[in-house]
Amino acid sequence: MAHDTEFHVHHDSPEAIGRRERLGVRLLIVADGAFLFGMIFSYFYLRNLNVNGGWLPKGVHSFSTASGWVAALGLIVAALAHRLGEYNKAARNLTAIVVLVALLIGGFYQWHQMAHMPFIAHDDAGRPFYNGAYASNWVLVAGANMFHYIVGAFVALGLLLRGYRVKLDPTLEEWRQRTAGSWFTWIAISGIVCALATSFK
Amino acid sequence: MTTLSHAPASSRPIPNPKKSLITKLNMGTGIVVGVIFCWGTYFAMKAGRDMTDSHNVNKVLLMSMFAWSIGFLIGIGAFIGPFRWLIGKDLTDEEQLYLAVDGQGWKRYFKYCTDHKVVGIQYLVGVMALLGVGGTMAMMIRTNLATPGSHFVTPVVYNSLVGLHGITMIVAMIIVATGPFGNYIMPIMIGAADMAFPRLNALSWWVLFTAVPVLCSAWFLGGIPTGWTAYAPLSDQAGPGMNAFVATIIIFAVSTAVAGMNITTTVVAMRAKGMKWNRVPIFVIGATISVALAIPAFPTFMVAMIQTGLDRTIATGFYDANVGGSGWLYANLFWIMGHPEVYVILIPGVAALMEIAPVFVRKPLFSYNAAIAGFAGIAGLSVLVWAHHMYMAGWMPSLNGPFMVTTEFISVPTGLLFLVLIGTLWRGRPWMKLPMLCVYAFIWNFLIGGITGIYLSDVPADNYLHGSMYVTAHFHYTLMGAALTGAIGGLAYWFPKMTGRMLNERGGYISFWFIQIGFNVLFLGMFIVGAEGQPRRVADYAHLYSHANLISTMGAYSVGIGMIILLWAIVHSWRSGKIAPMNPWGAKTLEWTVPYPVPLVNFDQPPVVTSDPYGYGRSAK
Ligand code: HEM
Ligand SMILES: [Cu+2]
Repeated sequence: MAHDTEFHVHHDSPEAIGRRERLGVRLLIVADGAFLFGMIFSYFYLRNLNVNGGWLPKGVHSFSTASGWVAALGLIVAALAHRLGEYNKAARNLTAIVVLVALLIGGFYQWHQMAHMPFIAHDDAGRPFYNGAYASNWVLVAGANMFHYIVGAFVALGLLLRGYRVKLDPTLEEWRQRTAGSWFTWIAISGIVCALATSFK
Repeated sequence: MTTLSHAPASSRPIPNPKKSLITKLNMGTGIVVGVIFCWGTYFAMKAGRDMTDSHNVNKVLLMSMFAWSIGFLIGIGAFIGPFRWLIGKDLTDEEQLYLAVDGQGWKRYFKYCTDHKVVGIQYLVGVMALLGVGGTMAMMIRTNLATPGSHFVTPVVYNSLVGLHGITMIVAMIIVATGPFGNYIMPIMIGAADMAFPRLNALSWWVLFTAVPVLCSAWFLGGIPTGWTAYAPLSDQAGPGMNAFVATIIIFAVSTAVAGMNITTTVVAMRAKGMKWNRVPIFVIGATISVALAIPAFPTFMVAMIQTGLDRTIATGFYDANVGGSGWLYANLFWIMGHPEVYVILIPGVAALMEIAPVFVRKPLFSYNAAIAGFAGIAGLSVLVWAHHMYMAGWMPSLNGPFMVTTEFISVPTGLLFLVLIGTLWRGRPWMKLPMLCVYAFIWNFLIGGITGIYLSDVPADNYLHGSMYVTAHFHYTLMGAALTGAIGGLAYWFPKMTGRMLNERGGYISFWFIQIGFNVLFLGMFIVGAEGQPRRVADYAHLYSHANLISTMGAYSVGIGMIILLWAIVHSWRSGKIAPMNPWGAKTLEWTVPYPVPLVNFDQPPVVTSDPYGYGRSAK
């Protein structure tokens, strides 16, 4: 063993690193999937129980079905645009921007919805509360969407900025496009599932 | 990932990436920033809010707790890596080396250190601290129960003690084996240079670290009235201490998800050349199955805790029947996580003992495949049994029968685990060292724990036993008698590799007998008072149970004394114990082929595996 050598850094092959990262992200998707399962379980469980007629009490407004789908639209567009860029490298500079913009606009829409919820009521002391189990579940689902928009935008911004760096390892960056693709596809699926669920009022 | 060179630490200069922020950050800066964030959030949110409204109090407290956690992580530099990724200026080689904190002595234990061996030691110390806190609470519980009508603590404090003891111990037991041994030993066992994601490894530990003060703050906020299960709607209505519980679980769930995916990826993708799946040491298999089960199981607990948090802060009504909520929702979400979780705890402990048994009888592990089938069967079935905790809750009585069947089915793969251990011991000549004693203790304790579980899974029997001390005795036999015994065995076994010294034998033996005898005295009698009707989680009891309770308390003190002796043995041996040879037990797994201190990248040359790890008494195949 050469004791006097300067420390050096040994890099694993980009293939190995890329594959590992993709597996890691997919496992996190499994965890997020279990979270989604918990939310959807809650939604339909309370909807079916309809305790004291409290799912959507009389006179309480809900969001339109369409608005639920609009909230998922940004996630869907982002996933599709990313896919396009994955296969068509020439278009990637453009698609990366589309992904980011779709997520930002979608995220803004989701936030806007959350700021204007129609089902908040006030008790005798004037304190707000969520009137009905639909209302409670809706805010959780919207929050999960919002979380996906934020994480998605972070990833999209990173990919966009990294696209302009020449020093990075191209093979590894290609793997990262694919890994990010898994994530974008997943958040789109999750958005669709949430939109589907909230279509049942 | 990038792995680092293996020239001896002493001969290398400490990497010094000039002007890089990471050189300036450590646990101290983390605490400073965390505390600033916490108090800043507290005062900013408090201003102008009506603090007579409990929802506002909860909002402020919960947000301050999360702010602490995030602030700490910022302060210790956890987000530097992701930020540098974002702007496309990845960490340089020199910075990565610095993060592994090679050659920086004890300071690395207080840094965002990416070396899996440092993380393993951090987990070990963290686990011991949690067990100490939880154990102290247990002593107070038993002291109060020593005599009927005792006023050692008030009933309200008693409730908090039971709940916080429970959740502290559950957290400790989830990480007790996979934390220290999964991080320190497991990568070496499979011949890897480090974990798949070293920075995430540091993250999982430091995230967990931030949960500890949050959990402790429950005491200063009035405690929790709910027990460790935090059932709703009581948890919705509980005082400010409950926020600490909610925040702890949410933070902890993040840590386990990150740790679980890291361990799983490492084992799947980074095994040494030649280490086919049927050559992977059984501890690695068990730890991986355990964390892989945690990945899908724990998020439902997180959902439940977020719902509790929302109910408490912004007045949603997930568990409030006035606005369409239901406590059954909570119970389901909790136990969909909760039952798999008990196996997440159990499996690594058993797997550690399966690693130990062949070494100390010098025989191959009996039926490696049956062991894997046992673990896999348990993991698979464990997601289908959760409602055995809810037989008496009135939820879906028509499902009690099916859940009884699935629960009783689990005893089949559980039986396989016994078969493997007993088959391994069969006609062997055991070398009676502390790790081996733990194998025997496990078999005894888990037999009792498992069989009493079958009584509980029987609906008519549970009708009577549910909510009694019988249940408490059952799950202590499984959690403490089985899983903790496994972890102690693992510690005695791997101590030489983790510290370079042998664990003090006499201290180990004496503590073992104090703990095991005390434990059985403590909990065997508890089955009897439980079967006679003494309820669990109640501060006082009828006179007819007084003898048994006094005996139980005496057992508890014996356990306490044993634990203190064990702690002494660990500390003493760590500082000045006998220097350990490279392979003190003559074992055949890879971790015994590396010297202490283990080099930064573990192996001089990537190892190549050519045989299974249990080839005692037969030629390598
Ligand atoms: C061998 C098979 C096992 C069976 C059939 C079994 C069955 C049961 C049943 C039916 C209950 C519910 C009792 C009640 O609340 O009325 C229960 C409670 C419990 N079991 Fe087990 N169990 C087994 C193994 C384990 C293991 C291995 C662990 C942990 C490592 C464990 C931990 C627990 C805990 C923590 C509780 C109590 C939860 C609570 O209500 O606070 N069990 N068990
Ligand atoms: Cu269970």
